[in-house]
Amino acid sequence: MDRKLALGICFIFGVIMFAQYFSQHPMARAVNQAVLEYWQIIFAFTLLVGVASFMKSSFRKMRKPSDRPYQILGLLGLISMPVLALVWGIKAGTPFMWMFENVQAPMQATVFSLLAFFVASASFRGFRARSLQAAILLGAASIILLSRSSLGGIVSDYLPPVAEWIRNNPSMAARRAILIGIGLGSLTTSLRVILGIERTWLGGSQR
Amino acid sequence: MKLETRHWTFLGLFVVITIVMLLPIRLSVPVSEQTQKMYDFIESLPPNSILLISFDHEASALPEIRPVGLAIVRHAFAKGHRLIGLSLFAEGTVIGYRMMQNVAAEYGREYGKDYVYLGFKPQYIAAILSMGESIPRTFPEDYMGRPYEELELLRGVHNYDDVAAVISIADGSLTTHWMEYGAARYNLTVLAGVTAAMVTTYDPYIASGQMYTLVGGLRGAAEYESLIGREGGGSRGMLAQSTAHIYVLLLIVLGNVIYFLTRRKRGL
Amino acid sequence: MDIGTIVAGILTLCILSFLYRDNPIYKMAETLLIGVSIGYTLVIVWSTTLVDILFEPLFSESKLALIIPFVLGLLMFSRFHRRTASLSKIPIAVLIGSGAGVAIPVMLEARTLKQMSATVMPLISGSGWPDISALVVMVGVVCTLTYFYFSREHKGVLGKSARLGTYFLMIFFGTTFGFTVMSRMSTFIGRMEFLLTDFLRIIK
Repeated sequence: MDRKLALGICFIFGVIMFAQYFSQHPMARAVNQAVLEYWQIIFAFTLLVGVASFMKSSFRKMRKPSDRPYQILGLLGLISMPVLALVWGIKAGTPFMWMFENVQAPMQATVFSLLAFFVASASFRGFRARSLQAAILLGAASIILLSRSSLGGIVSDYLPPVAEWIRNNPSMAARRAILIGIGLGSLTTSLRVILGIERTWLGGSQR
Repeated sequence: MKLETRHWTFLGLFVVITIVMLLPIRLSVPVSEQTQKMYDFIESLPPNSILLISFDHEASALPEIRPVGLAIVRHAFAKGHRLIGLSLFAEGTVIGYRMMQNVAAEYGREYGKDYVYLGFKPQYIAAILSMGESIPRTFPEDYMGRPYEELELLRGVHNYDDVAAVISIADGSLTTHWMEYGAARYNLTVLAGVTAAMVTTYDPYIASGQMYTLVGGLRGAAEYESLIGREGGGSRGMLAQSTAHIYVLLLIVLGNVIYFLTRRKRGL
Repeated sequence: MDIGTIVAGILTLCILSFLYRDNPIYKMAETLLIGVSIGYTLVIVWSTTLVDILFEPLFSESKLALIIPFVLGLLMFSRFHRRTASLSKIPIAVLIGSGAGVAIPVMLEARTLKQMSATVMPLISGSGWPDISALVVMVGVVCTLTYFYFSREHKGVLGKSARLGTYFLMIFFGTTFGFTVMSRMSTFIGRMEFLLTDFLRIIK
């Protein structure tokens, strides 16, 4: 029953949002706006569910003594943010934003910067011209890297324009083909979802 | 303490970058066609034009994306344009607000009259579509909690028809949604400042005219800084960036030389 | 030096310690980061969405129609109980259905037709002479698409076209790799600038 209801709701909302795209009637615009608001509100609740789920999993992991200090620290971090927001607010200059600017942002940026080291290591250990395809990949990467460094212009005046040509033509062509493929794939998947043929989002069996 | 091969490559990068950053050398870079196009677009707008600046990035990309955003916002304020800031990523919210607040102070621009910050809305597709219908309904209040209609700049702004363009400062594929939902549905002009890693993702959109132009990565920031005549993180980082590229290239060459020598030794 | 810079500098070094190997200091910083990030998103979403477009209009301005998304949102919590879990499929159906409905025209127009037209038009609108670059793009798009066509075995012309497609794909991956290296290095340079300038004050 719940599955049929969900499929029916999915169909109705799918058809409404598809049809409104082609109409400028005030009623269609109002319906569009209302559904978009529903969308944002439900999405916000899904984030709340995610937070509750994280807390649940943290408490479960706490049973293992070696993990306990880490889980406590994670939960403290999580709880501290709403507490700071409740007491001092969330505008710029508040302790909440201090935490964001001096704890979250620097750590997040540093975690991301670790990738620079792994890219360097991978370049040395895995980037080998083992086949024609690999050699083409390596060649394209090297031309781009060289052209975007100070050596680019020194090696040859032609290097930067050649690199730009590669980027704007053969490279762009492959990316465009991928885009068209994704577009067609999304289109058919969306149709299958609305018509109830694609049901994996419901979980469980396909029937 | 046992060091493996990867540790040596890490150490090499760390040492090379540190030494280069200590050198007081500034590397000048030629301006690319795309960066020039962004500059010309902002230059060609009549003064007092309204631009949407969307901070669609997370804190992780801040070291790369901040110089890009800063150069563009500086240029827009210097040209006397009015800016409406917003963010479609929770983390971009305060970053965008701080940036606009600081740059506005540099140019003596007033909040509410010359610039406004709307804050964050989740579910970017819904937010982009919703703003196309009505910006005041999507953001009933600004980031500071002031009602939309009380802010002088926003009085005549109802939807995308009332802004010159959106400039999405993004570290991922969110700008795609500005093009596919904002531009295709509501004829919004889309420009972007993106991380270098995302540049090739947007190339087909620039070629098809769906995106007007973009400024890509730290290099793009350096180019833009040279155009507006103001040094920033982009220009400062160019020597290190260039050296890092050469370091990676040398690692690729060295790795391949070792690979082919080993293969020959084995008689393959 | 302000306390914020000291905290940010120490935490930056804690994260960088991972480069040697996984260690308790890194793990502590990592879990703190996860907790704070979730807490931050929770607060921002609560205040900018739930308060601004749900609670205030519903409770202060009595916009009763908002009860519907409110109830739909609350149904998401039914996932935590096995007996009620299936109810959460209703709000998910709203999200999936409306998302799919909006996506159909957009995917068709913005992602497929516009890109196809941008591939063909430069060939047609030229000055009479074929533009080599436009021809390369055309061949690249067609060959790459054939590589992703799995309904027939890649033999004969189709096989050759698909093989050529892989070369175009390799050029794209190589170009993207080059730009990704740029991106990752920029992020590291940014962190080093913070460490050397603000935290250690070696660069003035």
